Amino acid sequence: GPGRAGSGGAAGRRAAAAAAAMEDFQAADEGAFNVDETNNIVKECIDNVIGGVDYNHSKINQWIAAVVEQSLMHLVKMGKPYKYIVTCAVMQKSGAGLHTASSCYWDSSTDGSCTVRWESRTMYCVVSVFAVSIML
Amino acid sequence: MGENSYSIRPAFQHRFKPAIVKAKINAVLKEELTNKFYDPEEVPVLTRKIAETIKTQVKECAFERYKLVVQVVIGEQRGEGVKMAARCFWDADTDNFAQAVYMNDSLFCVAAAFGCYHY
Repeated sequence: GPGRAGSGGAAGRRAAAAAAAMEDFQAADEGAFNVDETNNIVKECIDNVIGGVDYNHSKINQWIAAVVEQSLMHLVKMGKPYKYIVTCAVMQKSGAGLHTASSCYWDSSTDGSCTVRWESRTMYCVVSVFAVSIML
Repeated sequence: MGENSYSIRPAFQHRFKPAIVKAKINAVLKEELTNKFYDPEEVPVLTRKIAETIKTQVKECAFERYKLVVQVVIGEQRGEGVKMAARCFWDADTDNFAQAVYMNDSLFCVAAAFGCYHY
């Protein structure tokens, strides 16, 4: 009768709202690591910390800590279901060479990494971000 | 009702053991870099090779359900300052890392292996 139709209608609306919420969640979570966004975040953090300064041996510890911590903070704020590893190497510019390589055992459809190379007049900075997904 | 059998925490024997991994990393660095000189043509290939070798060795340790990240940095020894740091946002109960440094007169090498548990 009308009573049953009324309650059916309410349940139908609730189910539709729940389905829409699920769709939003899935659309926001692309499922793959967004390299460009991470690149921009890291570049900004490096510029903020060592953007206009010369290499200074006594300050290098706090600079590196600041670059890594700020990058990590911004990445976490994106609210994505990832564990993050951020590494940073800073080297004085003196003509010596530096090479980095990484090898990872993970699920390449959901996990990813990005490396940002930055230089100023007096130093090189290389920041690597590895993101490991925690969703099945 | 069935018992819950999907584990979200590794058993002790399957945990990432930093001491064991550090020993493996040290062995790889010693084998690949003893008596090597810094050669700008050869070093990029060597860096990749070391990273792959370390990853293979750590996989053989058979830490169950761990995803691995290995990073290797090789630089020329000229006496200038280098500093490297890492921070991680993860589950400190299950995840861990191991690192090692190798130096000779011509080059230095830093290798780090991170293990993240996959729930």
